[in-house]
Amino acid sequence: MVERGFDIRRLPGAATLAIACFVILYIPMVILVVNSLNGGQSISLWEGVSLRWYAVALQNEGFLNAAKTSLILATTAALVATVTATMAALATTRSRGFRGEGAINLILNQPLMVPEIVLAIALLIILAQIKQATGYMGLGYLVVAHSAFCIPFAYMPIRARLQGMDLTLETAAADLYASRFYTFRKVTLPLLAPAILAGFMLAFVVSLDDVVISEFLKSPGQDTLPTYLLGQLKRNLTSEIYAISSLLLLISVLIVAGSWLLTRKKT
Amino acid sequence: MLEIRNLTKSFGRGATSVTALSEVTFPIAEGEFFTLLGPSGCGKTTLLRLIAGFEPPSGGQLVLDGRDIARLPPNKRPVNTVFQNYALFPHMTVAENVGFALGAQGRPRSEIAATVERMLALVQLGHLAHRKSGELSGGQQQRVALARALAPKPRILLLDEPLSALDMKLRKDMQVELKRLQQETGLTFIFVTHDQEEALTMSDRIAVMNGGRIQQIATPRELYDQPANRFVASFIGESNFLDATCARGRLVLSQAAGPLPVSHPDGPVTLMVRPEHVVLGSARGGGLTLAARVERLVYFGTDTHVHLLLADGARMVARVQNALRGGAPCAEDDVIEVTLPTDALRLLPKEAG
Repeated sequence: MVERGFDIRRLPGAATLAIACFVILYIPMVILVVNSLNGGQSISLWEGVSLRWYAVALQNEGFLNAAKTSLILATTAALVATVTATMAALATTRSRGFRGEGAINLILNQPLMVPEIVLAIALLIILAQIKQATGYMGLGYLVVAHSAFCIPFAYMPIRARLQGMDLTLETAAADLYASRFYTFRKVTLPLLAPAILAGFMLAFVVSLDDVVISEFLKSPGQDTLPTYLLGQLKRNLTSEIYAISSLLLLISVLIVAGSWLLTRKKT
Repeated sequence: MLEIRNLTKSFGRGATSVTALSEVTFPIAEGEFFTLLGPSGCGKTTLLRLIAGFEPPSGGQLVLDGRDIARLPPNKRPVNTVFQNYALFPHMTVAENVGFALGAQGRPRSEIAATVERMLALVQLGHLAHRKSGELSGGQQQRVALARALAPKPRILLLDEPLSALDMKLRKDMQVELKRLQQETGLTFIFVTHDQEEALTMSDRIAVMNGGRIQQIATPRELYDQPANRFVASFIGESNFLDATCARGRLVLSQAAGPLPVSHPDGPVTLMVRPEHVVLGSARGGGLTLAARVERLVYFGTDTHVHLLLADGARMVARVQNALRGGAPCAEDDVIEVTLPTDALRLLPKEAG
């Protein structure tokens, strides 16, 4: 009685193609992690397992500074982006339809569609002027830029959750004497919390990972983790870079896994 | 007492606007089990949403205890709703759901705990107080929704097709349960349904609605015995309709043997008679006697439906109780005499179309 429909898994070659994709995606990462454990001086000679390069990395002033910058930047940018995205998502799903709602969605998601290099150059033109005028060279420029392009990443899961939420729950709360604020605090926000956290983590990872905008906008002497690694590549290559990359991979995996667990739970 | 005065609701504007409720006026008494009955799109849910405050009316008043509440937001009305899909808060326990309204009103914790306990006892769910609402069965969710809506002691409880998601057996149990709760609390219930049987068995009074208008408001018995018009007669129970004319105090039916004296103004009318009142053969109390051919016999266990074709091509159905012995009352293609007893005849206004 089960009708057998079209099943892409049964197409000839589908399995092979899928396996090839996974191999290409994950084998280099495995090689990276293995190489980071190389105890030798040269990156091309294997001299036994050791955490030597992790120790070197964790004592490297340049790396630690870049890591600190990246963490501060990613946290602040993700926070700003998440708060903005939450408000935008509430405005586009919980208010009566308004003129230009579609345009707002499009504008919010612009960073997903415009090539990042274009945004970087555009920001550079403006921020360079401001830098010259004010003399301020701090992290502020990167925070602003990262916050802006992280918004769509936080916006998407939050909006999806709001759209999927049963509207009668909020109606029921109003029926049961709750003010708008009480309803938001006790019903909407708790139900939205997993999506907000997922949005935050996504924004955090995207900011942590960014090279193009950071490279263009950083002030002299400033480095985020990715720009620091890029700089190292241009000089002498040691296994330290593998160790740093592996640490970065670990953090990203933990965060993405956390975000997945959070959104999976209540659906 | 709730007085609904000239309540009107239209959606949209200008040429595309749709009137969902038009100039509805009637009172609902204190402690009454009042049902809004009608097909989907008749305006019953719109009326309920207006009373709850989920929609603003386009016109009219809702006077509760001498105060017009028609334009108050839902959280300012002493009216609570049991939703069709229950709308329990999934992230809260049963007890938190039931205590929600009291929390929103800022009542002290001890009072909330006491009320929650009392409400859960009322719906016999005390043992589930700390479960999440998603872990409950449909019937249990229904009871939690009831307890939640009753907890803040509303003046009126609104129920929006609350039984439609339950299976047959559970639905019958909940009908009894709801009636018990209403009698125990003495609260005014306004119940929306499209199920005529549900309406007839539970209600003190029923308002039958169609096309955004009230067709009739009456007790279940009056509604069945004295329907005000053809819509009510056909929506509640089954009916036969025949075209007839009143002329000089007499009812004239083209197929019938003789005219019958009636007190009704002259003009065309629709004659209504319930299938169970049609008598095969002649009736003792007299009535209209017609000749008909038996088109079809349909056996229903407790009774048999006799489909009749009259001389002018009109059709009607007689419902005959099955006797223990003797088999069918007649055979297909028989030409028989049927009587419409005088006291079973209802004259309804003739409608255009």
